[in-house]
Amino acid sequence: MRVYQVPTHTRLWLVMTIVICSLPQLLRGPGWQAGLLALIVILRALADRQRIAMPGRVVRGALMVGIVVLTFYSFGRIYGAEAGVALLVSLFALKYLEVVRQRDAYVVIVLGYFVCATALLFERGPGMFAFVLFCMLLLTSCLVGINHSDTGARPMGHIKRAAAMLAQAVPVMLLLFVLVPRVAPLWNMQVDSGKARTGMSDSMSPGQISELSQSSELAFRVAFDGPVPANNQRYWRGLTLSHFDGRTWQQALPRGQDIQDYLFEKGQTPPPWYQLLMKAGRGEGYRYRVILEPTERRWLFALKVPVLEQGQAGLAKDMRLVASNPVSEAMAYTVTSYPNLAASLALDEAERDLMLSLPQQGVGRRAQGLAQQWQLESSTPQQVVNRALRYFREQPFYYTLKPPVLPVDPIDEFLFVSRRGFCEHYASSFTFMMRAAGIPARVVVGYQGGELNQVGSHLLVRQYDAHAWSEVWLDGRGWVRVDPTAAVAPDRIEEGVRAALEESNADSDALASLKSFASSGMLGKLQQWVDYVDFQWQTRVLGYNSQSQMQLLRELLGAASPLRIALALLAGIAVLLALYMVLLLRRDRGYQQTVMEREFWRLHQRVGSMGEPLDAGMTPQQLAAHIAKRWPAAAEIARQWALQYQQALYNPAISVDKRRIRHLRQLRNRLYKLLD
Amino acid sequence: MQALTKALGEVAKVVLGKEDQLKLALTCLMANGHLLIEDLPGMGKTTLAHALARVFQLEYRRVQFTSDMLPADILGVSVFDPSTQDFTLREGPVFTQLLLADEINRATPKTQGALLEAMEERQVTLDGVTRPLPKPFFVVATQNPSDQAGTFVLPESQLDRFLMRISLGYPAPEVELSLLAGGDLREQARNLKPVISGDGLVKLVGMVDKIRASHELLDYVQRLLEATRTDDRFVAGLSPRAGLGLLKAARAWALISGRDYVVPEDIQAVWAAVAEHRLSARQGGSVSAMTQSLLQSVPVVRR
Repeated sequence: MRVYQVPTHTRLWLVMTIVICSLPQLLRGPGWQAGLLALIVILRALADRQRIAMPGRVVRGALMVGIVVLTFYSFGRIYGAEAGVALLVSLFALKYLEVVRQRDAYVVIVLGYFVCATALLFERGPGMFAFVLFCMLLLTSCLVGINHSDTGARPMGHIKRAAAMLAQAVPVMLLLFVLVPRVAPLWNMQVDSGKARTGMSDSMSPGQISELSQSSELAFRVAFDGPVPANNQRYWRGLTLSHFDGRTWQQALPRGQDIQDYLFEKGQTPPPWYQLLMKAGRGEGYRYRVILEPTERRWLFALKVPVLEQGQAGLAKDMRLVASNPVSEAMAYTVTSYPNLAASLALDEAERDLMLSLPQQGVGRRAQGLAQQWQLESSTPQQVVNRALRYFREQPFYYTLKPPVLPVDPIDEFLFVSRRGFCEHYASSFTFMMRAAGIPARVVVGYQGGELNQVGSHLLVRQYDAHAWSEVWLDGRGWVRVDPTAAVAPDRIEEGVRAALEESNADSDALASLKSFASSGMLGKLQQWVDYVDFQWQTRVLGYNSQSQMQLLRELLGAASPLRIALALLAGIAVLLALYMVLLLRRDRGYQQTVMEREFWRLHQRVGSMGEPLDAGMTPQQLAAHIAKRWPAAAEIARQWALQYQQALYNPAISVDKRRIRHLRQLRNRLYKLLD
Repeated sequence: MQALTKALGEVAKVVLGKEDQLKLALTCLMANGHLLIEDLPGMGKTTLAHALARVFQLEYRRVQFTSDMLPADILGVSVFDPSTQDFTLREGPVFTQLLLADEINRATPKTQGALLEAMEERQVTLDGVTRPLPKPFFVVATQNPSDQAGTFVLPESQLDRFLMRISLGYPAPEVELSLLAGGDLREQARNLKPVISGDGLVKLVGMVDKIRASHELLDYVQRLLEATRTDDRFVAGLSPRAGLGLLKAARAWALISGRDYVVPEDIQAVWAAVAEHRLSARQGGSVSAMTQSLLQSVPVVRR
């Protein structure tokens, strides 16, 4: 059997393209895939050099079975996004072994377009998008290449041609991106759900948040419509924790209530507290858009009290947003937060019980005693709160990333012995004491602060901004935020965690790791730009979902009806095609004349317009002779012009400078006067 | 340069009223190319060749081609010499500086081929021994227009070996009158005064390559060549070799005209002589007129 040989100039490109297209999967997937690809490339290279016979059906069949078995072994199944893509990439490589006819080469390349697009299932940043575009360029240049014979083809020429083709396709791509209706289910493929992510967990125990503070990973980004609130107002609430077992704070529902009473989602009957909330006066609010990185959790982050405008999430009674599904890919939502709305909520008995509950085991006996003493000495709950804060401020408490381990009694040992802790220690012990003093209280975890990107003026909230604070129920004012950490380390709240840690020497190495995240100068500027691009990509491209699409189409087309969309699509493509045609026609005659060339054609045209049309193939001398014949008075000037012109254009020893061109122009103008 | 003008003047004494053709023939000589003269018998082809040889003091031989001629008749033959008991080469007429190949289209293709190969290689291989031809080596071939009976038409690939093809044509009436009044021109040609020596000619030929051509001029030449290729009136366009020949001829023309750089007029002057015999029309019609029309339509200055 004669083996079809990819033209030599393209063979290397094709192999390279196959490897590059598979690269994201090779880096992500199990290690055997790289080995398999190497094996296939080597087998094929040997077959092409006729060292071995082209692997027959048996070999290919064995490889095929091997691939399926290995895929099953690695993923436990051969369907689903991850296993499916792994299988596809392996078979894609195997297909290269099968390229016998030219048609097979086409199949491999067309399959390649699909393979490189699957990378976007797992990662959709601007970098990956650029990578996929690059793969498409390589694939297209291979297509160009296999259509060339072995003679007279240059690989760089193929790349150029492919680039031109892709460049022409880009406007069509944009048009389709904007206009073709989004099919949501296709892309909600629950890829790699359940994967461990850095971020908040649904409980809080000592050491958890300080661990998070070591990570500079992005948690979410926020773009405000109006001015950005001050740092000490940016408390991004994620969870409220109301059950304490002596060590760990957890979410809990009041006794006798179930989730329907507590969480209002679209389509349900609004519970009474929600109706109350919607009726209340709102006051001023902050409007902003959050782009949340995947968390695999349902809760969303917002300032108090969030009212959702765009996005899909419910509102829980503790004034936080809850998505309907775990956030497994970047999610955008637009929210307006009304700080004053909190006062309108009521606290029922079951809830009050929960918010006052203390752990069964005997932790924090001393703290309880202290709290009860404060309660006796104060007339209002507010006074108790102030006493507690004063206690934190006046006693030698330290704010540190490396608190000592407190194995026996995390409350008393912290409050009276070690007095070194991170925000979770302060929030935990403060809430505990408030409850002991009879004030309903809960722990809130989320993020505090965020760093402003100077380029895009949006906020970046990173994992190290993770924070925990308290909320206490004051009759008449509702849930009031109290941050005991602010009493100990005001810098943490005013300027962020890095500024707060700068003062304590004990944290110097932890600080060093944090500092490396925020370089100043050129590098910092560059980082801000990279982040800006990424943010714009997230909002404009990935955030362009069916909802925002419909809104845009309504603005553009008046109504987003299928007919209008179809017409707009057709019109857009027609305009593009017409544009290409004009460009093509222009390019055919689009030679840019030099000054000297224009000089000749101006005179040629002028003389031609005054008598019978002149031949295009006239030399300057012939033009001068023609002028001399018709206008004998101009003969001498014409002769001079032709001589000068001929010298300038054809005598390499004479350089064409401005002076010479000016002289020629003068001669030509004198000629114009002599021709009537 | 003066010598060249003087040489032209000398030749013009015997080839009357054909200054342009004479200048082209001289140009061809300077460009180190071979010349094909296509004309009816008795137009003065032989006289021209003779005069050129005389003026440049070239060793001159003439071969009348016939249909029963063999390659050995031109190139030479090895003969056994009894005195030395060895073969010695008896050189054929091709071992000369200026060879007049009269009526080349009368010979069989085999014989034509032998000559044309010698022209191209400027050497002759006989019995495995390669011998260079003298320098300069210049062939002036003549042929009767091919519609005459008993001729072997030169194929296009062979025609390409000739840098130029010219035809002398009938003389103008007044020239013919003085021709009739004068004596035997061929006799006069034998008595012309030598102007330049053969070595001098080699030096002049070397100078041709030093004539400069600007980028704009090369661009013009390229567009001319391109035009012959895209024009569907021709079977095929000019080859790159033809393009190089065109430029070289134009350089020689510029040298004769006393310039050290090429101008478009030089290209146009040699254009017909260089291009016409290399082109053939797809559907009849005058190749000459078509070739000329390209000069009128291809812009000299790029637009």
